[in-house]
Amino acid sequence: MTAIATAGAHRAGRTAQAGAKRWRRAVTGWSFAAPFTVLFLVFLALPVVASLVMSVTDMRATDLRTPFAVDFVGLGNYQRLFGDDLFLRAALNTVVFVAAGVPLTIVAALAAANALNSGLIRFRALFRVGFYLPVVTSIVAIAVVWRFLLDPEAGLVDDLLARVGVDGPNWLGDTRTSLASITVMAAWRNFGSLMVIFLAALQGIPANLYEAATIDGAGRWQQFRRVTLPLMRPALLFGAVITGIGYLQLFEEPLVMTQGGPLSSTLSVSYHIYNQFGFGNYGYAAAASYVLFVAIVALSVLQFRLLGTRDD
Amino acid sequence: MRNRLIAGAACAALALSVAAGCGRDADEGAQTAKEVGAGKASGEITVWAMGTEGEKLAEFAKGFTADNPQAKVTVTAVPWDAAGQKLTSAIAAKQTPDVSMIGTTMQGGLAKTGALDVTPTDLFAKDTFFPGAWDTTVVDGTSYGVPWYVETRGIYYRTDLAAKAGFPAGPKTWDELTAMAKALQATAGAKWGINLQPGKTGSWQSVLPFGWSNGAELTKDGKYTFDTPQLAEAVGYYQSFFTQKLAPANLPQGALEPAFIRGEIGAFMSGPWHVGILNEQGGKGFAGKYSVAPMPAEKSSTSFIGGSNLAVFKDAKNRDAAWKFLAWLSKPDVQVRWYQTVSDLPAVQSAWTDSALTADPILKVFGEQLKSAKAPPAYPTWDQIAAVFDTEMEKVCVGGEDPAAALKRIQSQADSIGTGV
Amino acid sequence: MTRDRAAKAALYLVLCAGLLVVVGPFLWMALSSLKPEGEIRAVPPTWWPDTWTFANYRDLFARLDFPQYFTNSAIVAVLVTVGNLLFCSLLGYALAKLDFPGRKALFLAVLGMLMVPGMVTFVPQFVLISNLGLANTYAGLVLPFLAGPFGVFLMRQFLQSIPDDLLEAARVDGAGEWRIFWRIVLPLCRPALATLGILTFLASWNNFLWPLVVATTDDKYTLPVALALYSIGQNRIYFGLLLAGAVVVVVPVLIVFLALQRHFLRGIATTGLK
Repeated sequence: MTAIATAGAHRAGRTAQAGAKRWRRAVTGWSFAAPFTVLFLVFLALPVVASLVMSVTDMRATDLRTPFAVDFVGLGNYQRLFGDDLFLRAALNTVVFVAAGVPLTIVAALAAANALNSGLIRFRALFRVGFYLPVVTSIVAIAVVWRFLLDPEAGLVDDLLARVGVDGPNWLGDTRTSLASITVMAAWRNFGSLMVIFLAALQGIPANLYEAATIDGAGRWQQFRRVTLPLMRPALLFGAVITGIGYLQLFEEPLVMTQGGPLSSTLSVSYHIYNQFGFGNYGYAAAASYVLFVAIVALSVLQFRLLGTRDD
Repeated sequence: MRNRLIAGAACAALALSVAAGCGRDADEGAQTAKEVGAGKASGEITVWAMGTEGEKLAEFAKGFTADNPQAKVTVTAVPWDAAGQKLTSAIAAKQTPDVSMIGTTMQGGLAKTGALDVTPTDLFAKDTFFPGAWDTTVVDGTSYGVPWYVETRGIYYRTDLAAKAGFPAGPKTWDELTAMAKALQATAGAKWGINLQPGKTGSWQSVLPFGWSNGAELTKDGKYTFDTPQLAEAVGYYQSFFTQKLAPANLPQGALEPAFIRGEIGAFMSGPWHVGILNEQGGKGFAGKYSVAPMPAEKSSTSFIGGSNLAVFKDAKNRDAAWKFLAWLSKPDVQVRWYQTVSDLPAVQSAWTDSALTADPILKVFGEQLKSAKAPPAYPTWDQIAAVFDTEMEKVCVGGEDPAAALKRIQSQADSIGTGV
Repeated sequence: MTRDRAAKAALYLVLCAGLLVVVGPFLWMALSSLKPEGEIRAVPPTWWPDTWTFANYRDLFARLDFPQYFTNSAIVAVLVTVGNLLFCSLLGYALAKLDFPGRKALFLAVLGMLMVPGMVTFVPQFVLISNLGLANTYAGLVLPFLAGPFGVFLMRQFLQSIPDDLLEAARVDGAGEWRIFWRIVLPLCRPALATLGILTFLASWNNFLWPLVVATTDDKYTLPVALALYSIGQNRIYFGLLLAGAVVVVVPVLIVFLALQRHFLRGIATTGLK
């Protein structure tokens, strides 16, 4: 009798102990998470809810003083979007841009980070600052120089092409090449940030792994594929997701370089949304923003599937 | 599981409470002006002004304080970049000042929010100002603000090259403009006779003056009317410069002024601010080589009027003093002094009789043009319609599309978007 | 040996070519800020100034209340950066290494927030800040950015690579979670913190739209807002002032970058394992 009772008491004690442990873990976890979560809920989550509600109304800028005096339109804004030619064109442009731009930027950043991390190079700090400069240079200065570079008559690119006997196109003025030009320019501008992130990630790979690989006879390329890439997976995933998110919201480059032209060939979804907010079509623009959000989520889910580890 | 239920309930509650308070009320109807009354102004008047005006107004307003010792004018300078966003956000959050400077094309949308006070009739009279400028303050029959300064457009041309081409006094009619452009290229060595904006943002400011000069009206009975034969003719005329290779379809940004100075471009269409740019870039002596002609006439010589207005907000803390300040700024002698401070052209007609404005020949041209210049309707949806117009103009100028077909497309979009009033 | 030398030479060549490509516009920006307005607008653009002038800088500093705006920018940027470094590493660590109920949901919420396009929450955020009475205050300028989803995501990814055995060993030794965090985890992720610091500082320093709207009087303007005041007109851009302003704005960012990039050193992640 006593044995069963004590056994029962022991079992109860152990479950109580397990429960207490879970409670302690919850408290610890949430105390780490609390400061961020409070700020997050108040300043980020609340406005998101408000804007979601905005997207199912016909709210315009003229309703700003009386935001509740608007009509519900349900999914009307969303339906209108898919009949809007400009929006569809912008969506196509953005998809093409992301499909080409994200890999291009990642490869450039990875190559630069790897090159600057290897022991071969001196003056690494100089190169690091240099490659980061496009990120911090004023977009106006960038626009002037790039417009000049791509000028069909006086520009450097077409000049070089002419020497090889190729008649270079009007890069920014031709609807067939404008998006490609913007893509290259955006990759050039943004790979510096990614490079910085990849550099930091490369620091976390222990040197002895490379030593062991060299002893095993692995060449530089093999070491890159077998040691570097796998260990950089979390950083690569981060880089891909962040770049995807950023590029799906491409805005500044078309705004400053081509104003969405020629003939809407470089109009991006974010630029279209910006215009709609400018016209005061708040409900409609909010709906477009959330369609963009869905696209961003979809791309990120795909990237998590491809590059994530098991516990992501 | 429980968390998800709670979250769901919260969302539903929020949605319900929002829905309960929603729905549009019937239109309030026309608003009436409240009188301001006599006496000196007192208290603090907060003013938002953009760009150079913002910089210089604080000092300039000391003249008002001299006349009204109890009053104090506090000016906050606001960048032009994203000024519209700043104003609409301030209205949404009820953080508006007493007075703000407002670009003429922004007026319609802001007035419709109900945030602007109606112009008091005891302080301001409509015919003090240029008619086109006053019209930019009128939304749905009521005026919500007063014009402050104006600008308009003319044809800049190289006088030396035009003389060689046989047009020493510049172009006077549509036919003469075309002939002059051709002659500049044939006999005066210019690569392009004239530069006209080939569509894209803001091109409506170049195209519509031709439309107005041909008798086109943009609105009738409270609706947009783009699909008119007069406007189609004007757009066709505008297009002819591109089809006849008299105007470049793809001039790189920033290339206009150097080309004009070098004589590669014989003429271009722009406003008063270009005088400063040309004199800066052209160096010594260039000022004598160009002049400005009024818009060439077809049925009339009508240009575009722009500029900025001043408005008082409904939530203003010091309404009466604010309106008195605006009345002071509208006095002819104050307008002249303001011109001498920042080179803004006065919106008040009688200010133009002052010698400061009658001496310069280019200013005279702009001053004449202002008397009949027109502005687009002050509808809240104008910005959006203008963007549609600009896109179609690009197709017409660069892509060779038929003007009448383009205008039909613009009309159908304008009909579906509406006037917003 | 020669294969190594050849590889080295090739690498240097490629890197230097790359450097020229990336540095070009920056150089043009810096050199052009020393040209008169007319020359800046010249087409084709000139590189080396025909006329050297400090007029743009003189003009800018004469009209601009530089100390005021610089201080505002500095206060905001430093607060936002420090806040992010602190809160994001706290939450990033919790998401990467601690197990607590609601962890997955929280991570998904944060990640989701990262994916919401910025423009759509702008006006609601400003209305919220105003209703809290924080318009035209430093708090209003800083609070919405203090908790950045970007930082959380970055720290989580980096902290994932810290070996669990290291933490277990510390726990077995009796160290509390906070101690583990401060003494062991943080020093290990110096490169990650440096990265987050640089990127957050840059974003905050260059932020234009939010400070423009939140500041209702110009004593709370930050540097980018003040610079736009003088360089962008209603119908024209004053390029000389714009470029001088751009150079002035970029200098602190470069200083912060140079200071923090020292931390991109070989990590000491392996110590403690043996």
